[in-house]
Amino acid sequence: MRTRPQAAAGVALTLPVAVFFVVFWLVPFLAAVYLSFTDYEMAGTPRWVGLANYERMFADPGFLNSAWITVVYTVCTVVPTIVLALLVAVPLSKPGRLNRRLRALVMIPAVMPLAATSMVWVIIYSDRGLANTLLGLVGIDPQSWLTSSDLAIWALVVMVVWKSMGLFVIILTAGLQALPGEVYEAAAIDGSGAVTTFTRITLPLLRRTLLFVLVISVAGSMQAFVPAFLLTGGGPADATQVLPYYIWANAFPYEHMGYAAAMGMVLLAAMVIVSALQFGFLKGGDE
Amino acid sequence: MRAGTILRAVWLIAAVGFMLLPVYSMLVVASAPDDTDLRGLVFNGFHLPENIGQLFGEGNLPTYLRNSLILCVGTGVLDVIFSAAAGYAMAQLSFPGRRALFALVVGTLALTPMVLVIPVFLIVKELGWVNTFQGMMVPGMISAFGVFLVRQFALGIPQELLLAARIDGAGEFRIFARVAVPLLKPALITLFLVHFLAQWDNLLWPLIVANEQELWPLPVGLANFQSEVGFNYHLTTTAALVTAVPPFVLMVALQRHYVAGLTFGGLKR
Repeated sequence: MRTRPQAAAGVALTLPVAVFFVVFWLVPFLAAVYLSFTDYEMAGTPRWVGLANYERMFADPGFLNSAWITVVYTVCTVVPTIVLALLVAVPLSKPGRLNRRLRALVMIPAVMPLAATSMVWVIIYSDRGLANTLLGLVGIDPQSWLTSSDLAIWALVVMVVWKSMGLFVIILTAGLQALPGEVYEAAAIDGSGAVTTFTRITLPLLRRTLLFVLVISVAGSMQAFVPAFLLTGGGPADATQVLPYYIWANAFPYEHMGYAAAMGMVLLAAMVIVSALQFGFLKGGDE
Repeated sequence: MRAGTILRAVWLIAAVGFMLLPVYSMLVVASAPDDTDLRGLVFNGFHLPENIGQLFGEGNLPTYLRNSLILCVGTGVLDVIFSAAAGYAMAQLSFPGRRALFALVVGTLALTPMVLVIPVFLIVKELGWVNTFQGMMVPGMISAFGVFLVRQFALGIPQELLLAARIDGAGEFRIFARVAVPLLKPALITLFLVHFLAQWDNLLWPLIVANEQELWPLPVGLANFQSEVGFNYHLTTTAALVTAVPPFVLMVALQRHYVAGLTFGGLKR
């Protein structure tokens, strides 16, 4: 039932948010769609060029390289992070004093700001840093992590896996602790082993949490800008030029805003498709 | 059984140890007297206080820290106020445009900042807000996450409670402020924390909109720190450590809210 004072209060309480989302989300989104069909370069007025930006992309080695690196970067950060986080979260979610302390410690890397983390890892990857020191212990020669075009992307991947792992361990632990205990008791009575319990009970029950973690980590990796910006500046020789970095570089330092907007649209479309696939895939088991 | 328990404890301690190694390493390098030992394994004296003193005495770190605090507290408070009002109204009041607003807010969750930064920059430029605090703050002031979080939480407020207040003759704004806000408090604390942490780590937007060093928050300052201290690794690490302290303190103080914020969306049925 709608009453007049309620309707008035509802409008008044939501008005700032409504205006904000129209001005800073809806209008910019529509503007980005429009700009992607123009040759806008910051100076001058946008001129309609139709699909030219989209055609240009598929002949631009810089874009194709960035798209490929983003795929590699996303797969290679998401898969190890989730697998490792699960391997830690399953035993860590069990009760006990040691586990409670370890759970508190896991939060420390999780709250480290990414900007600070990146600066620390620049030093870890420096010639005389921790990475080369640890390699030295097992008799491997020092590597130039951030300046070798073969290694730089893997240096980023290792840092990002480390950084996201803490976060996902916390989320997965909370999800595991919310699972009903009776199911496990029943499984134990039936003599179910640890591996069977994990694949037949834990994984299916944890599906929602896993889907959540998968979706946010894939989306996070596909739009990651900071690691490439802070650790390598997209280099060496574009080896770590992920798509968000290439979009930023085209839009701001080079002011190719129309072209950058078109690449942003392609990234957005890819993200929407990938999210939909994940939902479809993991929702499939829900009867 | 016993062997399994021990094996599990060893694996966990090793895994968590690995996760803490870079943090420990940061402490070691940040406490070093110079750049001679960058391995970050063994403390070479404890010069952390002097290093911090040096950064606060001569560099721009205090400016970056101040700017970050203004940005994060300012937009955090605004996000809490506006999201509380809108989230509550969307959950509990019937008004024209409610469905459209909900669709708009939820729809934005799917967008990536990489698409929006270009037109938002043009809007901010049009408003004359390039190189200003409002230019850095206003576009990120309200989050869809916040509105959505409060709305989900406010759906749990019993209708009867609001009805009773209405029968007592309380006006709608009074009911919001006196009945709803106290009940929403846990969600609002979670929102402030999540907003603060995200804003504290926001590099992209200030990098685009602020090119005057006086305005830089910590992430932009850190990105340029190497050149500022003459490619001095141990002082850069000290600055990174200082940057990590406020989120860490907040996390310790509000641990439960932090986990609630992280798992929101992952656990709800």
